[in-house]
Amino acid sequence: MKYSSQAVAKPYFIAAIGLFVGQIVFGLVMGLQYVWGDFLFPEIPFNVARMVHTNLLIVWLLFGFMGAAYYLVPEEAERELHSPLLAKVLFWIFLVAGALTILGYLLVPYARLAELTMNDLLPTMGREFLEQPTITKIGIVIVALGFLYNIGMTILAGRKTVVNLVLLTGLLGLAVFFLFSFYVPDNLVLDKYFWWWVVHLWVEGVWELILGALLAFVLIKITGVDREVIEKWLYIIIAMSLITGLIGTGHHFYWIGTPGYWQWWGSIFSAMEPIPFFMMTVFAFNMVNRRRREHPNKAAMLWALGTAVMSFLGAGVWGFLHTLAPVNYYTHGTQITAAHGHMAFYGAYVMIVLTVISYAMPKLRGEEAANPRAQVVEMWSFWLMTVSMVFITLFLTGAGVLQVWMQRYTDVPQAFMVVQDKIAIFYWLREAAGAVFMTGLILYVISFFVTGEKRESVSAGVPDTA
Amino acid sequence: MDKAGYRALRVWLALVVLTLVTYAAGRAGLGGRLVISGLLLSVLIKGQMIADVFMGLKGVRSPWRWMVTGWLLVVVTLIGVAFS
Amino acid sequence: MEAVATHPAVQEKSGLPGDFAIWIFIYAELLVFGVFFLAYAFTRARHVELFNTFQQTLNRESGAINTLVLITSSYFVVMAVNAIRRNAAKRCSQWLVLAILGGGVFVVIKLAEFSAKHAEGVTLSTNTFYMFYLSLTFFHFMHVLMGMVILSVVAVKAHRGDYSAEEHTGVETGASYWHMVDLVWIVLFPLVYVLH
Repeated sequence: MKYSSQAVAKPYFIAAIGLFVGQIVFGLVMGLQYVWGDFLFPEIPFNVARMVHTNLLIVWLLFGFMGAAYYLVPEEAERELHSPLLAKVLFWIFLVAGALTILGYLLVPYARLAELTMNDLLPTMGREFLEQPTITKIGIVIVALGFLYNIGMTILAGRKTVVNLVLLTGLLGLAVFFLFSFYVPDNLVLDKYFWWWVVHLWVEGVWELILGALLAFVLIKITGVDREVIEKWLYIIIAMSLITGLIGTGHHFYWIGTPGYWQWWGSIFSAMEPIPFFMMTVFAFNMVNRRRREHPNKAAMLWALGTAVMSFLGAGVWGFLHTLAPVNYYTHGTQITAAHGHMAFYGAYVMIVLTVISYAMPKLRGEEAANPRAQVVEMWSFWLMTVSMVFITLFLTGAGVLQVWMQRYTDVPQAFMVVQDKIAIFYWLREAAGAVFMTGLILYVISFFVTGEKRESVSAGVPDTA
Repeated sequence: MDKAGYRALRVWLALVVLTLVTYAAGRAGLGGRLVISGLLLSVLIKGQMIADVFMGLKGVRSPWRWMVTGWLLVVVTLIGVAFS
Repeated sequence: MEAVATHPAVQEKSGLPGDFAIWIFIYAELLVFGVFFLAYAFTRARHVELFNTFQQTLNRESGAINTLVLITSSYFVVMAVNAIRRNAAKRCSQWLVLAILGGGVFVVIKLAEFSAKHAEGVTLSTNTFYMFYLSLTFFHFMHVLMGMVILSVVAVKAHRGDYSAEEHTGVETGASYWHMVDLVWIVLFPLVYVLH
């Protein structure tokens, strides 16, 4: 750690991991409810569990992004954070607001929550992933503004690197596009537009900038490859992501009352979305092969390479699978979407946050890298989580293909619940893979507490100048 | 003007002539398999000239040069298939 | 950090003019355009009458003139690269300015074409042919604008004397992109304006 104010990242990372555990617990609950319908009913109905599962994901990723930014921005800007105090205050505001919201989901009926939070003054609740009460949304905006102010001032006053500017652009876009969540038109088609402009433009637009910047930062640090080379690749990758991602929004506009040309624009441009992910994979392996140093943090390198591969598979390949309009005609809203969602979120955003944590956490605890034993445990958790996520994806894909086959792409479509019964085996298998994932996650948490003999002085006296 | 300049000028002239031919074919309302094949062939020639001389790919090792040529071939051939 | 450096730096050796990264970009762009062209061609095969009829409403003259403008502009860029290879930085930036002006002419003609179609009430939803015509030419149009921005940056840097006979990767990078814009139009013009 070069600047003491980078330490504010630590609570953000801890909160992120804590909420991640919560997310997976609810994932397991839902996975079971797929095959055991009244499990935990009426305490935790499926729709509530789902809301908690997805909302926790978003919140903990945001914690992760913010923590990553607080760690990375001072180091790149070569100066202390503008206001560490503000960062700490915002942390508690965000954590308390997030916790209260989740408790609200769990403890009171959703309609009552809407009433309690005076949703009728400015109705924004009830849309998938954006279920948060309006006051929580306002809280998110305030936290985002304070956060952007803090890192923005740091960047403006310090060294302006490409990594910092791309990261700032991504975070700024994240905040700006969130504003669409405050507008809920009565017209259903318009409503979907504005909803996708948050959801899609986040995960297939500006979040990719954040992903690119974070990956570039870690690669610069652990490979020692010239910053110029890495920055050049970053430029190309984000340019491609933005072009394909922004116009690719059209792949959500098929048959929802929007003009027909979206089927062409959406199909062609979103079919290109795997390209930047593929370039990222090539880029990451290229940089690691050309590394000019042997960084002691092997786990961080594994996470970085894992991110590059899994984001290509999850976001790129599994996205392409059902992005073309004629295919999507049969597949939309099936388990194929769920398969894509799981692997894409894990491969791209979960893994990049864990990559940064893996790199930064030892530094925040005053070491160059975690001790070898802890790293072994961490790498075990990497493989357990990653492989089980691959299986979750494959099982859901299997379920989705059968679902399409029996319920959609047929002259004699069977009823929804009949089909669900027939594919139940896949849901059981998915739940088993989910349990393995949970095991991996527990190992991951344990890895922070594994002690071992002190590393032999690799970090001592070696200035970190990348 | 040096040699490279003259070569570029010759390519430019060829491109202009082929473009005018394409335009004339359109203006005359010519269609049919033969005309389409001819025009597509001229697209191939024009494209390869741009790649080789303007872009300067002529001396470049494969596969980089062939990727542009290959792109031209695939696109032009498939257009031909779709139009026949 | 350099203290623990154990491997030498490796350079990219592709022999491609300009920065290697722009070529990755160019190949990706060619792929997008290629897919778009083929989508046009194969959709047309299912609506031959419609496409032939409405192709007649396009302004073939402005399409042809724009082709000539683009290849001429591309030629100017070749001369700019030539100039910098002889270390003539000022001459290089003059050629680039000419090339950018060519781009400007293209933009003006294209805008006139768009506004004429707009005045006729043609939109993306009018019919499939117009959907493709407007989409393809507009997408290409955006690339022309992008190319002009890139060439402008290169021209200013050349004028300031940032390039030399030894080091002019930037000029070649911008030039390669501009030729790609030209190359794509070379396919687009016959495909959309002429072939039937």
